[in-house]
Amino acid sequence: MSKLFELKDGSVVVVIGSGAGGGTVANELAQKGIDVVCLEAGSRLTLADIVNDPPAMDAKIGWHDKRMGSMAWICKTVGGTTMRWSGVTPRIQEHEFKALSTYGQFDAGTTLIDWPITLDELAPYYDKAEDKMGVSGTHGIPPSAETNNFKVMKAGAKRVGYKEVTSTRTAINPVARDGRAGCQQLGFCNSGCAMGAKWSTLYTEVPAAEKTGNFELRTEVMAVKINHSKSGQVTGVVYADKAGILHEQKARAICVAGNVVETTRLLLNSASPMFPEGLGNSSDHVGRNYMRHMFAITNAVMPNPVNYHRGTRQSGIILDEQYHKPGRGFAGGYILETLGLDPWNLSNIVGGWGSDNTKFTDKFTYIAGAFVTGEDPPEAANRITLHATEKDANGLPVPVLTYRDHPNSLAMREHSIKMLRELYESLGATEFHGGDVPLGAHNMGVARMSAKAEDGVTNRWGQIHDIPNLFVSDGSVFSTSAAANPTLTIVALAIRQADHIAARMNQKTL
Amino acid sequence: MNDSFTTRRRFIVAAVTLSTITTSLSSPSWLSLSAAWAGSTDDSAAAQTLFTGAARLLFPHDRIPDSVYASVMTNVLAAAANDPGLSSTLQSAEDSLNSRRSQPWVALESPEQLAVLQELQGESFFVVLTETVRGNFYYHPDVWKYIDYPGSSKEFGGYIHRGFDDIDWLPEGS
Ligand SMILES: Cc1cc2nc3c(=O)[nH]c(=O)nc-3n(C[C@H](O)[C@H](O)[C@H](O)COP(=O)(O)OP(=O)(O)OC[C@H]3O[C@@H](n4cnc5c(N)ncnc54)[C@H](O)[C@@H]3O)c2cc1C
Ligand code: SF4
Repeated sequence: MSKLFELKDGSVVVVIGSGAGGGTVANELAQKGIDVVCLEAGSRLTLADIVNDPPAMDAKIGWHDKRMGSMAWICKTVGGTTMRWSGVTPRIQEHEFKALSTYGQFDAGTTLIDWPITLDELAPYYDKAEDKMGVSGTHGIPPSAETNNFKVMKAGAKRVGYKEVTSTRTAINPVARDGRAGCQQLGFCNSGCAMGAKWSTLYTEVPAAEKTGNFELRTEVMAVKINHSKSGQVTGVVYADKAGILHEQKARAICVAGNVVETTRLLLNSASPMFPEGLGNSSDHVGRNYMRHMFAITNAVMPNPVNYHRGTRQSGIILDEQYHKPGRGFAGGYILETLGLDPWNLSNIVGGWGSDNTKFTDKFTYIAGAFVTGEDPPEAANRITLHATEKDANGLPVPVLTYRDHPNSLAMREHSIKMLRELYESLGATEFHGGDVPLGAHNMGVARMSAKAEDGVTNRWGQIHDIPNLFVSDGSVFSTSAAANPTLTIVALAIRQADHIAARMNQKTL
Repeated sequence: MNDSFTTRRRFIVAAVTLSTITTSLSSPSWLSLSAAWAGSTDDSAAAQTLFTGAARLLFPHDRIPDSVYASVMTNVLAAAANDPGLSSTLQSAEDSLNSRRSQPWVALESPEQLAVLQELQGESFFVVLTETVRGNFYYHPDVWKYIDYPGSSKEFGGYIHRGFDDIDWLPEGS
């Protein structure tokens, strides 16, 4: 049963955020008998609250506090953005962990490093993460059912000579498993899964943690500042409750998992005389090296109906382009994935107005669609900062997101769009649209793991280099972006981090 | 691109507000609602005609009758009655459209109306107008009927038994 901890109880680990990273690290710690208080800014929904109405769901789960600059499409709700995600879960490849060694530095603006960990080291945690999340095609779980949209992609892939085409690697139950239903092909995955078939921490990690009796979730509370002692150890988290009243929860250790933008804001907003530039920022890396993948979306009008709104938004991928093949004119690789949209999404992504736009929506049932995610080099100038004067409703400085695509990403996007055009035209597509989609859905960097303290913010365990009991447990710790959708790696790293925290507690070094 | 996308995304929120507002009003008549926005019945009828025409040119679908465009714009005008920002955007849209030629915009031939829209597409009100119409239009169930989009599927058990994998025209062996 859910437990209640006292504010002054400094023996607990405080986890900030209940999404992919926070929900996982909290549950893993609770399973090991460690007391955890999880602070979550959003409210707690049940499956019955999930309706197939994207604007209504956006009102319930979206993050609507003020932000400036590039957008980040993330959630404020128990479960975080695992309520909105699509569930595509490929692993990062070996060479991608060694980005600098493999690609070399691109130019004076990029800041590539190698990860301080290898694939070998993370592989056992990938196994655990896939099992926990129920990734199709792993651990005896069948592949995901092939939707019409995937069948079109697969047929086109064959025509253009792609070999690695698979409907596995999605954290959506093809069949009921582990207390979660099988996918009913509702088709509204990005507005919450009303079946609970798609992995979300709302109905997996959070209730599992509550069952241990070592875990308390506090909802609708916003962490605003982390306090520390004279010796430079963190001691507690100040948070605002629903009424705006501030409280401090004392802590033995703190794990921050607010999803990149909020993780940056919390670290920077916790500046003190001892850490004048913010926590973990003695290297001036907090907020920098912000990555969000090279994204592209294509929509093709096919000669016959596809009905891509039917069934999972994303449940099949092509891996042939994920490798580093510099002959294509760019470093790193990308993954091609199916993507189905609703009419508003389609109109919005094609952009513009008039018949150039409606020639797609007019043929809504004939559209086949794809999404591309690719390696995004870190750049010091791609960064999240706090606005000097603008404040939000909580009195917190407004985050400012500065992001541009590197020329490598522009070349990669062009290549991926050309390949998808060939793929769909090989099956007779009559209209084709491909373009950028600056969503900020995959957020990474800003507190990256680095072997040397001066190159990053956190060490190989996601611990802030100069603060022994402060950890970062979300995509902020990615040293480089790789091509893969990030969440499987976030979860694998969170499981690994929980092992590390528990081991240090046993050794009495935490 | 980033910034314009951010602006575009924001209108999804506008669409939410609009649907909330319109469903909370009992059987809204466009006349009284847009009267609340424009101040007088004559003005509001003119606004309704103008924006219905603009909506059709912004998102033209031959199969969709004018009555559907009209009902979408009724919702938008109703929302504007409670949203000073949107209301002033619509006012600038109306003023700009009407002042580009010697005749009011609604009196122009369709190609000329389109030309005026093209001339104005860089203006900030135009972006707000387009995205407000886009959100309200493509989330309107009457529109879905004409483009064969069925909307919510949860109450029908999803598509697992309703054709998520029924495609039959792909080349053999794929
Ligand atoms: C449309 C969409 C599709 C996606 N599809 C995929 C996919 O197919 N595959 C994939 O790998 N990834 C996908 N992603 C990305 C995936 O959702 C994220 O990588 C993942 O959710 C990040 O986990 P997180 O723990 O960092 O953050 P989140 O899951 O966003 O959780 C952060 C939580 O912290 C809370 N929080 C933040 N700040 C505070 C604070 N100060 N105090 C208290 N609480 C706070 C938030 O409310 C939130 O609940 C997708 C994202 C989107 C938007
Ligand atoms: S298609 Fe499957 S995963 Fe997506 S919302 Fe429906 S049941 Fe959930």
